[in-house]
Amino acid sequence: MKLFVSGRSAWVSIAITLAGALLFALLPAFLSPYGVRVGQLFVLAAGLAVAWTVLGGFSGYWSFGNAAFVGTGAFVAALIELALPGWSPAGAFTVALLAAMLLNGLLALVIAWPILRLRGIYFAIAMLGVSQVCYELVSNIDALRGALGVNLIDIVPKDVRPERFYYWALLLAATAIILIAICVRHSKLGYGLLAIREDEDTARMLGVPTAPYKISAFVISAMLTAMMGVIYAHNLGYITANSVFRNEFNLNVIVYSLLGGMGTIIGPIVGAGVMTYVTQVLLGDLLDIHMFITGLLLAILVLAAPNGLYGIYDTYRLRLKRQKREAGR
Amino acid sequence: MKLDRRTVLKSMGAAVALPAIGRGAQAQATETIVIGGSVPLSGRAAETGLNVNNGYLAAQKFFNEQLNGVEIDGKRYKIDVRLFDDASDPARASTLIQRHLDDGVQFFLGSFGSNIVLPTAAIVERAGKPMMQTGGASDQIYTQGYKNIFCMFPRASRQLYNTIEYFKVLQPAPKSIMFAMANDAFSKTLAEGAIAFGKEKGLPINDIVTLPENITDASSLVNQIRSKKPDVLLATTHDQNSLLIARQLISSNVDVPLLYLSLGPQLKSFRDALGGYSEGLYFQQFWDERSPYKDAFFGSAQKFADYYRQHFKRDIAYHTASGAACIVAYVHAMKAANSLDPAKVRDKLATLDVESLYGRIKFTPEGDGDPVHLGSTVGQVLKGTAEVVFPEASRTAAPVFPAPKWAEKRRG
Amino acid sequence: MTMQTLVDGLVLGGLFSLSAVGFSLLFGVLGVVNLSHGAFVLIGGYAAYTLHEKLGLDPLLALPVIMLGMFCLGYAFQRSVIQWATKRASLLASMLLTYGFALMIRNALVLIYSPDFKSVTPAYAFDSLSFGEVTVGLTRVAALLVSIVLLAALAATLRYSSIGRTIRATAQQEQAAALCGVNIRHVFALTSGLSAAFAGAAGVAIGLVMPFSPPDETLWTVNAFVVVTLGGIGSPAGALVGGLILGVVNTMTAQLIGAAFPNAMMFLLLVLMLVVRPAGLLGNSFKGSR
Repeated sequence: MKLFVSGRSAWVSIAITLAGALLFALLPAFLSPYGVRVGQLFVLAAGLAVAWTVLGGFSGYWSFGNAAFVGTGAFVAALIELALPGWSPAGAFTVALLAAMLLNGLLALVIAWPILRLRGIYFAIAMLGVSQVCYELVSNIDALRGALGVNLIDIVPKDVRPERFYYWALLLAATAIILIAICVRHSKLGYGLLAIREDEDTARMLGVPTAPYKISAFVISAMLTAMMGVIYAHNLGYITANSVFRNEFNLNVIVYSLLGGMGTIIGPIVGAGVMTYVTQVLLGDLLDIHMFITGLLLAILVLAAPNGLYGIYDTYRLRLKRQKREAGR
Repeated sequence: MKLDRRTVLKSMGAAVALPAIGRGAQAQATETIVIGGSVPLSGRAAETGLNVNNGYLAAQKFFNEQLNGVEIDGKRYKIDVRLFDDASDPARASTLIQRHLDDGVQFFLGSFGSNIVLPTAAIVERAGKPMMQTGGASDQIYTQGYKNIFCMFPRASRQLYNTIEYFKVLQPAPKSIMFAMANDAFSKTLAEGAIAFGKEKGLPINDIVTLPENITDASSLVNQIRSKKPDVLLATTHDQNSLLIARQLISSNVDVPLLYLSLGPQLKSFRDALGGYSEGLYFQQFWDERSPYKDAFFGSAQKFADYYRQHFKRDIAYHTASGAACIVAYVHAMKAANSLDPAKVRDKLATLDVESLYGRIKFTPEGDGDPVHLGSTVGQVLKGTAEVVFPEASRTAAPVFPAPKWAEKRRG
Repeated sequence: MTMQTLVDGLVLGGLFSLSAVGFSLLFGVLGVVNLSHGAFVLIGGYAAYTLHEKLGLDPLLALPVIMLGMFCLGYAFQRSVIQWATKRASLLASMLLTYGFALMIRNALVLIYSPDFKSVTPAYAFDSLSFGEVTVGLTRVAALLVSIVLLAALAATLRYSSIGRTIRATAQQEQAAALCGVNIRHVFALTSGLSAAFAGAAGVAIGLVMPFSPPDETLWTVNAFVVVTLGGIGSPAGALVGGLILGVVNTMTAQLIGAAFPNAMMFLLLVLMLVVRPAGLLGNSFKGSR
């Protein structure tokens, strides 16, 4: 196989990511346990949003149903752990995590062929449908225990505080997701996906193997989302179908990208940070109108900054450049 | 006002800045006992969430305003209940519970729904603080070996014991019993516990139907009842679904001699919606304001209800009373411990055995309510009022069985 | 028994159809997926509730008033917010905008009406009609009739009136219609008004048949999705066919497979339909599908 990534900017991005991750890994030393839990929510949101971006941001296929992979991942892991009673926690968790990722990859592969033929809003609706089907099946088939709920094994080492442990676990997973996203973005696959986003028919005419590319991105996105779902579920310790198949998982990942900047990798991360801070910290105390304000913020966001914070930054940068040019004249 | 980008951004800034100011003002209270926790005030569980919330607040108001706080170890304290909306989101609930812990809150109140209560209970348990709750009755919570989590209700699988006992003494004895359960953790364990106990008692439980968590149409259930003609239908469903089932049974003219809807008829709005048709409906009754319970602080169940009505507009429900009882239990335990040390208060909660507005508060070793003292009674709507009809010791009216047919009620 | 299940399904389907037709129209003509559609439906239900409680007005008599009010609301919604969003952002982004509005409306309903369920129960709510072996509640029959009459009226308007022709023309070729002198903004706003009016009507019918509470908005939005995908976008006939099929599938699944499974079956059908025939059974290729 050829070089996985090419170009200097890719290596720069990777270096920045690793440095950022290291910095974030040190944060719990300075934060209260509550701060660490808010950090968990942020890292979880960022990881899920970047995993969504691999398909949605790069290729323009907006999935409105990624909760399907969060939930299915969580329940596959939980049920596999139930089936491995004598195992050590670390062993059972590893098997469960790998199996959940593999199974979600498989699930994505199976539904990808028919569903990825749909475009635009139809793909969005179909994914919404897929996530609903998964939710209904998990909650209504008794063997899957979605209604009664299921406990996950405790994988926290004895002398580590659980909120820190899961913060690091989620951070590790999110970092892996971001690195994979960078690799995808700068590989042939990534350029192909961008071409698909701009004009799928022309891309195909020019020889981009659109179908395999879309399917690959979809499968990668699904597996990464499932990985986050498994860790999230362990953090809760006990889940019912309602805890993991949440509409928020479907829609918020898109909000993060829109807020930060669609199609970029830094965009969803910034968006996740801003939204987590606003909804969990600033609006955490509001008893009865936090939902209203969240909705209002969403509306304002779409109306006032349709290209997100990255768009504002971009306009600003261009304006600065132009001013410089004019000043130099 | 012209809605340009600048005004929009400005108002957004205002919305962001507001809560920060609010928090600063809250912090200055002195000599208070802070009790933290969450309730779901948005989402599906908001209805019960609001009842629980009002119960907590009514008790707080009463202790602070009528009794001028509580005296513990020679010092007077005001009670400060701090709640937030968890929106039935387990991650949000865990994060905000952690905030309370970091703020030094020593005592906790619980949310509603086992998928919220369990993750938060795990955090509180680990921190060694007690949690009194009245919204998580699913069995899973009480099989974790937790020492600090207490519930005003018995675990779900034990809640319908009195109901099964009542079915046992029915005359004429029912020949077939149908169960219909909503597909959520609570309703399911509730029904499954009752089914297991009922079969043990030799009751003819012939049909079990599982319904979706939220239903828009109950016609398949109605059709099954029409063809199987059970003598008893016990539906473990939440209020809104119960009303839909009742309405469809009435308008399809399908009669069941004993129609038992676990949640629903206890609400006045439910009985009003059905008018005369609610006559004879059975339900799970945990509390009645006319119960002869004495309370060291409120005086009695009736006085609590009167006090609540004076200060709150919302109808009283048994969750309101059980919510208030959580605070009462805390105060009893604190007084008994003569200390605000959470470990000592926890020990006194575990051995608590005291009569209250809600009944005799006593917990099992696992922390859920004692099934005899805090279990449910059998309620029936008679002449538009919710009465207790079984067990005989606490009955407020004699049961009517079989209940009048819909057609008789239609004639008035 | 099967006959009864079939009739139950058709009656339920009538509700599904009416609740989806507004969504379908907006999607077909403007290409906007309105995630606050279910919230609009609930506004209709709550309006009927308020008029019934406060003025004793029968929901069926309140229907025209509510539809008119909702029409104005929908018209204003398009002219102010949606238009702005579609111009500045993308159609997909407008989906998020409407999601934001759904959250706001839901929260506002909780604040105004409390989170408790509400129900509208006129005196005839408990009566029924019997045809041989089959018994159906009177309110359900009324709801079905309302659905059919309104859907027929809408179909006739779209087909024969000049407003209907301009709406259809705009849906097919926005630019060409504009060139022929159609005021596109006005037509879009009219469509949005019609969509909201029908959502309101559906709310009234739903309120007549079953209790409702603010979180139900998600349910009615999602149902509209499924109905529209099944029947085809942009036409009343499509909504009717999609809704009726869905209703029958719903009751049949409950009867034959298990009462817990109608939803799973519904969404399975949605996904299958998208795969086999994304335009829906009666669909033509309107804006949303291009």
